Amino acid sequence: MAGPLKRTTNLTGLAVAQNPRQTLISLYNKVLSAVGDLPEETGYRRHTEEITKNRLQIVESETNTELIEQKINCGQVEELIVQAEKELNLVDKMKEWQPWQPLAEDAPADQWKWP
Amino acid sequence: MAAAGLRCCIQNLSRHKRILPNISRLTSYNKTAIWKNTRILCTVSPSVVQNEKKEVETRLSEYGRYLLDIIPKYLQGVNLAHGDELEILIYPDALIPTLTFLRDHTNAQFESLVDITAIDVPKREHRFEIIYNLLSLRFNSRIRVKTYTDELTPIESITPIFPGANWFEREVWDMYGVYFANHPDLRRILTDYGFEGHPQRKDFPLSGYTEIRYDDELKRIVSEPVEFAQEFRKFDLETPWEQFPAYREDKQKSLEAGKEIKEEESKK
Repeated sequence: MAGPLKRTTNLTGLAVAQNPRQTLISLYNKVLSAVGDLPEETGYRRHTEEITKNRLQIVESETNTELIEQKINCGQVEELIVQAEKELNLVDKMKEWQPWQPLAEDAPADQWKWP
Repeated sequence: MAAAGLRCCIQNLSRHKRILPNISRLTSYNKTAIWKNTRILCTVSPSVVQNEKKEVETRLSEYGRYLLDIIPKYLQGVNLAHGDELEILIYPDALIPTLTFLRDHTNAQFESLVDITAIDVPKREHRFEIIYNLLSLRFNSRIRVKTYTDELTPIESITPIFPGANWFEREVWDMYGVYFANHPDLRRILTDYGFEGHPQRKDFPLSGYTEIRYDDELKRIVSEPVEFAQEFRKFDLETPWEQFPAYREDKQKSLEAGKEIKEEESKK
């Protein structure tokens, strides 16, 4: 399919992923659908969609994991999987926090004044 | 005088390049001059350095704008300190969302908590400024997150997000007295076991309040109020000439209790 699996990731505790391409595609699609629930025009949704769509396009166009790693240029596929899982986790929290709203609390006067 | 002699020495050497200089006759100062002359000096032209600095500044300010685009709710400000250190200023309740975002977002990945510190500025309403330094190993960049609190308001502990914050927060508690809510084990870390006070606060004196000595009668260490042979002398080490005209403070606002009393008396 994508050639023989590599023997090790050289990172302690990170096992070599079986079928990384499929995992990545499913994770990126999950992220995109989760982010789709956020209101449009929010900075977080726009930027996350851009990053995820870009990576998804690269993963779908390439079958060789090494080429995927090179093109995305953000570490090994196992690390990419971890990053996608974290982003998915973060989207849920962002739905709750809604950080795109305007500034919630103003600083007291002269709080950040230095000296 | 010595410099003129040195210059002549170097010129003579350059004229007689094939002949090795008679090093034994020269003083050690002249010897270093010879080595300087023969070493290849690598200089960087001024424009390259300025371009690098501009590049760093633009890159960091763009990232600051990126953060402002994503989390405007939390950011009270974005600074670029010393030309190459990005700082974001947030209010204390925004701490956990901001740090979770910086750790988990693909375009941030600040996985490593480098340090948590505090600074004490007694004049401010919220006197303590808590500072979190983060490092992204993936993108080789650093960021600083700053919040504020006062003596009595607790601040949320970030040990659920960064387990390494445990001892850092203990240190800030010990040194400044900032209480961290939901900390797994908040106790003193640097001060002695029965120590009272928070040493790094600005109102804590340099010598402290107590000193210990071994008492021969009681056969143990005793803690007593600190005693000095000479009373504390404060020297005003400022120069007579004004150093920072841009930061001239209004003289009426400066803290001089005696002066105020005199003014009140004169008014009466």
